[in-house]
Amino acid sequence: MESATGTICLPDLGDVGEVVVVEWLKELGDSVTEGEDLVEVETEKTAFVVSAPTNGRLRAIAARPGERLRVGEVLGEIE
Amino acid sequence: MLNLQRMLRDRRSAGSIGDLVITVEHDPVFTIGRRGSRSNLLVTREALEQEGLRIFEIERGGDITYHGPGQLVVYPVIDLRDYGRDLHGYVERLEEAAIQTLATFGIGGRRMPGFPGVWVDRRKIASVGVHVRRWITLHGLALNVNVDPRYFAMIRPCGLSVEATSISGIVGEPVGLDAVAERFLTQAEFVFGWRLVPVDRDEMERGCDDGEA
Repeated sequence: MESATGTICLPDLGDVGEVVVVEWLKELGDSVTEGEDLVEVETEKTAFVVSAPTNGRLRAIAARPGERLRVGEVLGEIE
Repeated sequence: MLNLQRMLRDRRSAGSIGDLVITVEHDPVFTIGRRGSRSNLLVTREALEQEGLRIFEIERGGDITYHGPGQLVVYPVIDLRDYGRDLHGYVERLEEAAIQTLATFGIGGRRMPGFPGVWVDRRKIASVGVHVRRWITLHGLALNVNVDPRYFAMIRPCGLSVEATSISGIVGEPVGLDAVAERFLTQAEFVFGWRLVPVDRDEMERGCDDGEA
């Protein structure tokens, strides 16, 4: 796996179990800046927007709307 | 109100203001979360329009819900990085403040595993819908004090076949919203470790160009 800093992981949200991806707010190939809204996920009780960890371009989307994942798992890649 | 919340959320994110809590009583309105389904609105658009009711799609967790007179709506705008980045812990504390408020009326509220909100027996008395962006909270909790049950009959709240109830319905007499707000904020202070100081609304709204959403 390449640059770990470009990996978009689901951050630690506390004890939330599985989250489901609701909507990507950027498209593949879009340039993103650090801290920018990237993808919205929903836990059992809340909605949470994951921010871009670095500047770059959205290179890969690993989890699509409707898919479920856990804290620490990979949502996508920025290069 | 939505614009005011977002404006405050952005200023909180920028660090130009500290944590704050807004309490509101809305005009009648239905709101539906991103993943909510319009099939949970049980009346037609025409019927809504006839009654002068609006429905807004908004960015929060949860499905469809009703806000209106007789309901205390609480919107904390806080930075969860100061609260352990614990999303569900935040929701649970909001629910706890509601449960403790109900207890002061002799009402036993409880959570239902798998669903946010507070129930009394099998009827829902408080709904919760929270959205977190850059760790700042948006939306919050709505507690039924004196709500006209007619409106709840128009929806399947949060997609569930659930009856709604209010504090005054259980207590058997009208209860003032302001009294409940005061109790709720006191309980919230305990639960969150806050010390709340009133702020002038005009002061808050300065910088928000178009007022109400």
